[in-house]
This record gives sequence, structure tokens and C-alpha cells, in this order.
Amino acid sequence: MASDDELAHLQKLSSEYEPEATGPLVGERQSSAAITTQYANADPVFQVKTAALPEKYAYFRTCRGDGHCGWRAIAFTYFEALLRVGDVSKFADEEARLLSLGNLLDHAGYQRDIWMDFAEEMTDLLRKLAESLQLMNGVAADILLNTFNDMGTSMAIITYVKLLASAWVQTHADDFTHFVPMGDVKAYCANNIEPSQCEADNIGIAALADALVKPAGFGLEVWYLDRSPGEEINRSFYAEPTDHHQLPIPNAPMLRLLYRPGHYDILYKAGDVPQRIQQQPIPPQPPLQVALASNFDDFVPTASNVGDVMNMIPGMYPSGFGQRWASLSYEFSPSPTSQPQVTPVQPYPSAATPATPVSSSSLDFLIPTHSNPASQYNPVSHHGLHLDQPPVTLPIHPPPPPPVNIERAAPLVIERGGPFRPSMYELEPGFGSVMQAQPFQTSIFRNSHFNTAHFMNPDFQPEEWSPDGDYATGNKGRHKSHSS
Amino acid sequence: MALSNGRGNNSNTTVAARLQKELMDLMLHPTPGISAFPSDENMSTWTATIDGPSSTPYESLILKLSLDFPANYPYAPPVVQFKTPIYHPNVDFSGRICLDILKDKWSAVYNIGTVLLSLQSLLGEPNNASPLNGQAAELWDKDPAEYKRLVLARHKTPEELDA
Repeated sequence: MASDDELAHLQKLSSEYEPEATGPLVGERQSSAAITTQYANADPVFQVKTAALPEKYAYFRTCRGDGHCGWRAIAFTYFEALLRVGDVSKFADEEARLLSLGNLLDHAGYQRDIWMDFAEEMTDLLRKLAESLQLMNGVAADILLNTFNDMGTSMAIITYVKLLASAWVQTHADDFTHFVPMGDVKAYCANNIEPSQCEADNIGIAALADALVKPAGFGLEVWYLDRSPGEEINRSFYAEPTDHHQLPIPNAPMLRLLYRPGHYDILYKAGDVPQRIQQQPIPPQPPLQVALASNFDDFVPTASNVGDVMNMIPGMYPSGFGQRWASLSYEFSPSPTSQPQVTPVQPYPSAATPATPVSSSSLDFLIPTHSNPASQYNPVSHHGLHLDQPPVTLPIHPPPPPPVNIERAAPLVIERGGPFRPSMYELEPGFGSVMQAQPFQTSIFRNSHFNTAHFMNPDFQPEEWSPDGDYATGNKGRHKSHSS
Repeated sequence: MALSNGRGNNSNTTVAARLQKELMDLMLHPTPGISAFPSDENMSTWTATIDGPSSTPYESLILKLSLDFPANYPYAPPVVQFKTPIYHPNVDFSGRICLDILKDKWSAVYNIGTVLLSLQSLLGEPNNASPLNGQAAELWDKDPAEYKRLVLARHKTPEELDA
């Protein structure tokens, strides 16, 4: 039987347990579609909100959730905004300004010889980045990321910005006294800002916005992702970039944080990101095989006695797959004005089995479509069926509100230069905002995930035929791909 | 790009540099009633003493402590223990101390000097609301004479400790 002491010790261990945070202290910038994916099976509110996220905020960057992420995110984006401005003299200005803020720290009662250690890491980084900018050696962004992933240096910088926030609150007590318990800003700072293990709260963020961000000519906003009703994330904090006369600065860099209860990450709009970095490497695509069959009667013996158009499609008859298709009520017409589009609800469990004879018996039509989009408009195949074999199995999610998705799905076609989008996970979010001039839609399937342009549709490529524009879509897609 | 996990040599040299600086400061500006010195060559453990504050039961007693500095000091607190057996509401019989600034309220602006001064004031102003030694917490208010007797009964001088 364990003694009381041991039990108390075990109880203490258990109540103090926190899972160890993993991952880089500050991650690489990545497509915010990853957040959408992360919440794909979550509460519908999260699904809707995260589905709308990539359209406005194309990229994000993770911060390790070790209790410092809010401070870390602000400090990192502050340096990143300086890099975005790209003015070497701005770094010198900021260094001088931070030096003068030393008085604030002294005034708050911090020992100069202690906080100088932390401040020096901050000014060191400013100098290194300025030097890199001056040399134009293109490694400034790497220096910044590496510095923030060095625990010792990044903790010094984080400590410095926390002391700055704390000193700001204490020396501007009138602004904060009504927001802290008992109006005691000194005690509040000692308990909520100064401790090494304390997450940034609203007061800390507001103080840092005033002390660090706004005087540099930047703005700061925090976007809140929670389960509150709504279709988009809410802005929970906003510090407008203003100049010395409190006038808004147009096009000033904005520092954007994504807040999920207990954790901060960094958000970017597509325009926040320098163009050369925006070119994310596109992984090589496994070739998609599409079989276009003209002689489908051989494969669907019951075609003659069933009216459903599904039966006209080789390999698509329900019995062939053991799947029950919803009856699709689009018109089938032999004229090229209407391309039959059939979309499976989920990837074929064994697509190869019935499809193989189709492709082998009609090799002439085995065309790698993405290399030649125009071939889809070949009259020979206009009423044939596109059978593809999805390379990956994708989870199926209930369809979120569709208009957003259609706009996001469409540009992808142009991006790739072919009509194929093999996987929804390769969405290039933010691209949609550029392409909003030509939202992709068809009259029939517009709101359905049966629409091949719908992002929930894992298999089929979007197609469009416009009587006026002739083959405009296909040509445009090819043109873009060659020029990019 | 390879991202370092930040637990490499760099942080250890940072700790050593910081402790070196603190040692210089303690030697150049000694504070009456406290002392501290590294007890191993890589400076990660220190031995310290505090004098019991006057007009408290600990008056004229010298108390020895050990300080153990983690690799991420000063971003995490040192582990501080009384080496001298001490009778106190917030110290258990192994010398472990319950003090918020050595736990969740630790801040990187604290140093060895501020920690020792805080402990010194804790001797005269125990936090009886959350005691590790319940009997001591009770006697502190109820029976100061008995409290003082138990303090002296438990105490050992540094010479007795080393013997």
C-alpha cells in the first residue's frame, strides 16, 4: 500500500502533467488548406470555418504549443514584417527605438544587466537581418527561421518582448487598470506576463501592439477560430497601423495570428508573401489514366433495357462495382454541347477490375488527358465515359457550403495546365482570389459535389464547353501552364 | 531546411555564461545575509547560505541550500533545496520548498540573488495557507515558543552538517 506521501506525489505528478509539445518552434510557411484538412472530420462549425479560411488566408505557419506561442508568433511576424518592408535603414531605426525603450524597462524596475542579455539577442537579430538584406544574399528569411528555432536565442527574444509588454502595461497603468483584477497592474504583470511559463493574453498582446508593433508602422490582428456560430473566423483583436498623427497607413504590413483556444499560429494573406517564395514546389503527379470508350455496348450488356444513362457508361453499371449510384438527372445528348459528367461519390474500391478490359480494347483512346486538354472535345469521345483510377483513397466529407469550394477548385485547373486535379489535398489556396473573375460553374451541378469542379469530388476533372467561347477554357488552361 | 531543436550545446553555453555573470555580480556586490558559489566546475550546481532574519525564530541561524540549474535556465527555475534540516511551514522534511517563484511564477528576470532574498523573507513570513508542514503552520500562530523550540531542535550548524 502506497504511503500518503507517495500518493500525494503521484497526484501532484498527474495534475502537473502536460503532454510534451513537439514540432519546430516556428514551422515553415505552408498552405492553409492543411488547416481545412485537419478539421475535415471535426465539428461542422469548424469544417465550415476552416473551409472558408484558405480563400482569405492562403498560408499559415505553426508555432510550437509550449506556452510561448503567442509571444513567439508576434516576435517572429514583427521581424518578418521588417523583412517584407526590406529597407535596411528601417532595421537601424528599430534598433535605436528598442534601445530607447530600455528606459521603460528600467522604469518598471527590471535590472538592466539582466534584461540587457535578452535585448542583445533582439538587436543581434536585427543586425544580422539588416546585413543580409544589404548583401542581398537572400538568406535573411532563413536566418530568421533558424534563429527562432534555436531555443536559447528565441527564448531570449521572447523574454525581451514579454518584459517590454509588462513594462508598457506598468508605465501606462491608466490604459490597463480597468482590465486587470483589483486594478493592480503591477501584480497582474508579475502573475500573467513576467513568468516564464505564461501564454500571451489580451492585455499582453494589446501592450505589445502598442509598444512594439504600431510604432514600427505595422498592424496586428488576431483571428479567432472556435465553435461559435458563424461561417468564418472572427477577428478578436485589431491594432490598425497608424502613423505618428494617428492616421491609418495604407498597405502597411499586417501581423496576423490565428488563435485557437490555448494556441496561436501565424496567418498570411496571399499578398503578404513575397512572390518568389509563393512558388511552392508542386509534387510530381502520378500519371492518370483515362479510358475513353466508344464501343461501350460490349461492356454493358443491359444497356438496351434500362433507361438510366448510367447504363450507357462502360464499367459504371451498379452491379459492376457493387455500388449503388444515385440516379443522376442530367440530360444525355449525343451532341457536344453536353459532356456527360459522372462522378462517383467515393473512389472505386476496385476500379481496375472492370476498367482494364476497357482500356486494353480501346488503346487508341487511352490518352493522358492532362497533356492535351483539347482532346476531351474530340467528337469521337464526347459521349464516352472518362474512367480514371484514383491514385489515393480520399476521405469523404459531408459537403460544406459550396460556392466557396467551386471558386477554389476551378483555378486549380488552370494552375496545372490540365483539367486534372488528382487530389483535393493539393489545392493551391489563395489562387482562387486571383481567379475570381472567372468562377467555374456549370448550370446543372453547380451546388453538388457531383460536379467535377467541386472540391469534394476526388475523381473527375472539370470540363466546360461554352457555345460562345468555343474551346476557350481548354486553351486558356494550356496557355497559363506554359507561361507559368 | 534542418531545424535545430534548440537543446544543443548552444543553450548550455548560454546557461554557463549567464551563471558566470551572476557569480561576478554576487562577488562584486555582495549582499549581506546571503552567499552563493558554484560547487562544480560546469557551474550547474551551486551551494548557497542564507542567514536567518532577525526577530524571527531563525535569528542567528545559518541555513545551507543547494541550487540545481536546468539546461534552459533562466527560462526555467533552479531546483532549490534546504540542505540544513529546517522546521518551516513551507519546507518539507527533505528540504523541498513550496514557493511560487520557484514554480509557475518563475520569471527569467529573477536570479540567484533574488531567489535567496525571497527565501530569506519566506522564513519570517511563511505562507500558512498552503503548508507542506501542517504542524509548523499551526504552531506558528498558536504557540511561538514551541515553534522556536522545534526550529532549534531540528537545526544543525554547517559544521555539524559537514561532520
